[in-house]
Amino acid sequence: MCLQMMGIIPAWSGLRGKRGILPVLSAALFVWGAAPAHAAGADQRVERKYTVSGKPVVVIHNVANGRIEIKSWKNSEVDILGTQASNKIGFDIEQAGDRIDVTANVLDAAAQPLELEANLQLTVPEETELQLKTETGLIYVEQVTGDMKLESFAGDVHLKEVSGYIIVKTTGGSLVCSQCAGKLDFSSISGSAQILQPQLNNVNLMTTTGNVLFDGEFVRTGLYSMKSGRGLVEVRFSSNDSFDLKAQTSTGTVDNQAAAFLKPDTHGVKHIYSNLTHGFFGTVGKGLAKVELSSYSGTIRIMRRD
Amino acid sequence: MQCKDIETVLEQEGLEPLPAEAREHLAECRECRSYVADLTSLVDAAHKLPSEIAPPERVWISLRAQLEAEGIIRTPAAEPVVLERVSWWASTRAFFGHRVLATAMVGILIASAAVFEIRKDRVAEKNSTKQEAVREVPLPLQALPSSNHTSNQTLNQKSTAAPSASSAPAEFAGTAQALDDQEPVATGLILSSRSPIDASLRDNLKKVNEFIAECEQHLKEHPQDQLTREYLSAAYQQKAELLSAMIERGRSVN
Repeated sequence: MCLQMMGIIPAWSGLRGKRGILPVLSAALFVWGAAPAHAAGADQRVERKYTVSGKPVVVIHNVANGRIEIKSWKNSEVDILGTQASNKIGFDIEQAGDRIDVTANVLDAAAQPLELEANLQLTVPEETELQLKTETGLIYVEQVTGDMKLESFAGDVHLKEVSGYIIVKTTGGSLVCSQCAGKLDFSSISGSAQILQPQLNNVNLMTTTGNVLFDGEFVRTGLYSMKSGRGLVEVRFSSNDSFDLKAQTSTGTVDNQAAAFLKPDTHGVKHIYSNLTHGFFGTVGKGLAKVELSSYSGTIRIMRRD
Repeated sequence: MQCKDIETVLEQEGLEPLPAEAREHLAECRECRSYVADLTSLVDAAHKLPSEIAPPERVWISLRAQLEAEGIIRTPAAEPVVLERVSWWASTRAFFGHRVLATAMVGILIASAAVFEIRKDRVAEKNSTKQEAVREVPLPLQALPSSNHTSNQTLNQKSTAAPSASSAPAEFAGTAQALDDQEPVATGLILSSRSPIDASLRDNLKKVNEFIAECEQHLKEHPQDQLTREYLSAAYQQKAELLSAMIERGRSVN
């Protein structure tokens, strides 16, 4: 009341007359309130550059929450940019020859989850071997051609145009692999896997409750195994493909939408059908690749893409 | 002494103490000096290595699951273990032989009886007033009668319970038992954590437990189903890895 009288706070009646100002004031207050935290986050920044020769090995262990992004360039250098939301996280970075270790450590065990955000952005030579371990937050790798082992509890893994021997292990995180080549092993409890336009010649996908989608070409002489305990296993192949297919489930169903394109096995092998599982064998083209699909209680769906 | 002799001396007698002749040769020969220096640094590095690193528990569990799945090993049927053929009276008499121990034992018995009486009264009181409400309250791990339960389990949510080792097929009994033993340790370590990661781990443990229970039940009805057997074996391995991750994480946080 006093403040109103002194003119510091306008009377309610006066403010009511200027309703248009309220949203602006609210927005301004919100931005002002959020500004210090954001600024503090932006202030915590680590940038390093390491010269390497040959094929480097990059090892990252991120116990904080955050995103790890790795892209490649033509330089023989590893560039690391780390940002963190607070000073309750510390980055340890060291180089030993062509190996570079990056570890994000929690410095204060009492820190709140929001204070434990640490993002890493790396640019590495194309032929770099990666070993990444994180708890949550996305792992994104693009155009890297070395072998890689990527482990995460709850974070997703997105790979684009990578090749080599790729191992992905998650507890609940999902994998999206676009235009990947080489060999891929994926295992998860509840995470799903999407393999899109691949050039992979050896694939092992296993999830307990997640789904599996393979949309792309089966390389001749390639071996493909896709399993889901309870989820959907879906394969979309093209008419140019050549593979032998075995699909089986214990208590689930097989939804074969490409029956017209699947011939009986042409290699003269007599397959023994178990009374305890549902499924079938079939061949597309000359049956050069080998594809095995299975699910304990989920659905197996086979489709032709074109 | 020649360079060859230095190698022989080092092979037979080690680095120290070198004979006078060898020392004289080293003073003149640069190659041998660098050879001895390399050897010395190797020995030093070897001394700094940890003596032996024990592999994590999950390795043994996975190995056992794999061997059992392939039928290479089988868990022997449970048999009563007889340690010594001593009569129960003799062993009891020997135990109570010491007066101090006997007095302490009596004291513990009295205290236990008192605690039991107090608890019985309280439980009876609660039951009479809020019998239904008690069933909805989540019980902490330690309060559960069996160790085969996840942390957030309530009495009326028995579907989240870990499958009992006794329901596992005979060839997996050892693996299932080992996992059952580890589960309360793992869940106990992250029991109080509110971290979303720990919540996710607990949720995934629940999922894998449910899947294991389903496969075990199916195998009871269809023991010849090889596909289910393979899924069950893989689920045990996943559970072993998950428990190991929970323990590792719990230890690092605590």
